[in-house]
Amino acid sequence: MTIKKHFSLKCILGLLVIFVWISAASGQSPDFKQNIYQVGKLKPTDSVLKVKLGDRAPDFTLPAVGGGEVTLSQYRGQKNVVISFVPAAWTPVCSDQWPGYNIAQEFFDQSDAILLGITVDNIPTLYAWTNQMCMGGGKLWFPVLSDFYPHGAVAEKYGVLRTDGVSERALFVIDKEGTIRYIDVHDINDRPRLEVLVKELGKLSK
Amino acid sequence: MNELYQAIEARKDLKGKMKLIGIGTGNSDFEVDFFRKKYEVPFPLFSDEDYAIHKAIGEVRTPYFIGVRLKGDGSAEVFYSKLGGFSNANKFLDLMVKSSGL
Repeated sequence: MTIKKHFSLKCILGLLVIFVWISAASGQSPDFKQNIYQVGKLKPTDSVLKVKLGDRAPDFTLPAVGGGEVTLSQYRGQKNVVISFVPAAWTPVCSDQWPGYNIAQEFFDQSDAILLGITVDNIPTLYAWTNQMCMGGGKLWFPVLSDFYPHGAVAEKYGVLRTDGVSERALFVIDKEGTIRYIDVHDINDRPRLEVLVKELGKLSK
Repeated sequence: MNELYQAIEARKDLKGKMKLIGIGTGNSDFEVDFFRKKYEVPFPLFSDEDYAIHKAIGEVRTPYFIGVRLKGDGSAEVFYSKLGGFSNANKFLDLMVKSSGL
């Protein structure tokens, strides 16, 4: 027995500790523990866009989780704007996409851009979800807006409201003149890659 | 995680015997590089953009730790496989060493 044990120790060349994590930006962040509802595989897209590149971005005013309201046109001439529609709070991919943007603020700053996060959830739900997102400390640096009532009206205006009432996972990049410069109505099951958005942000004038 | 790396490096008895790597599942190379630079991660990080590794290990939630014994005959044996982080790097390292039988 002793000999066997000694032999097996001798045979160990080394140890490898593998740390598996999901971060910036898929799967599931640790902060959410078991509170994420698994939606399964969904139809990649389920809406018809109502805007196109070069269009003036439709204006809107929505309530923000932090209080008050945000109007898109308030940024005109001031900031480039990225609108990130995500389908719903407490769902798998969404719960990683925004934490990713949260640690990638510098890319937005470099392009003098603000990010507006929008879902069709109501304010209390968004409050709880975004708080859970930041259990590791800190806060989201960007406004989170509720497109709850009239239900999904802004998503509908852009043509990204799905037939089941949630929005697409969609990104719109809008320049300081209010013109739409980039649209990505992404496969709802996947998270858009950070580098693609960073590249688009790099094309904007600061 | 950086503290765990430093704790491993500080242990002379583990020099050259224990290595730490990270796998960013669902993340692109760009995202992993950004993460590495932003948090000054001193150990190798790998991207698992298409979730291939994640699927192979059973689609675990994260953070997840796997301890692997690398044997002289080229085989590898898992001695630790568990969900969850740690609050004390030295205690976690002690657990790893004890579990491994090194």
